[in-house]
Amino acid sequence: MRRRPGISGLQNAAAALDKYRELGENVATIRKDLMKEQLATFREQLEEFARKHKNDIKKNPAFRSQFHEMCAKVGVDPLASNKGFWAELLGIGDFYYELGVQIVDICLATRSHNGGLIELEELRSLLSKRRRSSREAISEDDCLRAISKLKALGSGFEVFSVGKKKLVRSVPTELNKDHNEILEMAQVQGYVMAKEVERRLSWSSGRAADALETLLKEGLAMIDDGHPDGKRRYWFPCIGSSLSGAVDADVLSLGN
Amino acid sequence: MGDLKLPDFFNYPPYFTLQPVRDTREKQVQLWKELILNYCKHHKIFIVSLEEEFPLFSNPAIDRKLSYEAKKVFLSALVSEGRAEWLDKGQKNCLILWRRIQDWAEYILKFVRENGLEDGVMTLEEIRSGVESRGTELAGIDRIVLIRALKLLEQRGKAVMFKGTSTDDEGVKFSA
Repeated sequence: MRRRPGISGLQNAAAALDKYRELGENVATIRKDLMKEQLATFREQLEEFARKHKNDIKKNPAFRSQFHEMCAKVGVDPLASNKGFWAELLGIGDFYYELGVQIVDICLATRSHNGGLIELEELRSLLSKRRRSSREAISEDDCLRAISKLKALGSGFEVFSVGKKKLVRSVPTELNKDHNEILEMAQVQGYVMAKEVERRLSWSSGRAADALETLLKEGLAMIDDGHPDGKRRYWFPCIGSSLSGAVDADVLSLGN
Repeated sequence: MGDLKLPDFFNYPPYFTLQPVRDTREKQVQLWKELILNYCKHHKIFIVSLEEEFPLFSNPAIDRKLSYEAKKVFLSALVSEGRAEWLDKGQKNCLILWRRIQDWAEYILKFVRENGLEDGVMTLEEIRSGVESRGTELAGIDRIVLIRALKLLEQRGKAVMFKGTSTDDEGVKFSA
């Protein structure tokens, strides 16, 4: 646009700018409304879907996990609140709240045995046993969701990976890299020996002894001097012992 | 009565080594105490000797057995709770009270009433192996435990014990 001098020229230019802005705003509003509409439709359909498949969502953990993914994509959090449509329809907030409480129970009850560290898979199986009567299958995904809700309470629950396995920690113990490496090694046989740790990880004997001593003090390891070869073994009840179930059978009966 | 199902910790080697860390040790002692009581109750065992082989204290399947010290720690824990008593100063033989003396006394009273023996007389041997006792937990009851329970009843005025010419003649008159 060629610039024209004079007052009228300036006024024209300002008026044109206003027009452009107006038009732009209109377009934006139309788009926003359209988006809103689309999102509303989508949510409606999601609700419709949830209503239709209520039972599948409740009973089938794989389905439940996919449903959560879908919800996350449109910014709906069925766990955000116990009030409102989602909770009323699915009772899903209550479901995870309940799982959370039971997870805390199990972690506390098995703590004296495993030092507050438990394999996710074992936690899941204890949880399932305890909820036998409700006949709803529980997946690891469900456990992780429930635990992430617990985090909001600042209760110090944490899930971390050691080797191929996921462990749930319910005590504030900070495990360092050395400890994790020992735990990973223990996954093979359930125990490690000091010499073996030194050799496999190329550690000094002091470093291995320190790490093992800490694990022992934290209640995560148990010593075993009974092997005929006379070498001390360090066992880790939190790993692959599937002991907690039997040790704390009484806990299971406390639940519903 | 089937076989007692042994708890899983019985198959986990470190439970056969005394644990050095306090919390872990407490849990270990607790589990062993319960197991000893359950095992003795199941098999009607009254006396555990530290110097004789006792099946519960070793697990050939995992090649582990309790040390003398460990056995003593677990039994002493039972003693301190009143669920066991050392029979000798050297603490080598232990009387396991899987039913407490006062509970035995109650059990005997119930037995007496069910058999219409409220004013009856029985010898100790009859209580331990008589027809009436068959099928009850009194069958095969340890003599020491029986006498202690009867003495308790005597104190309560529910029984009077008397001695005969030999141990076979020792008896009791109930007044339940």
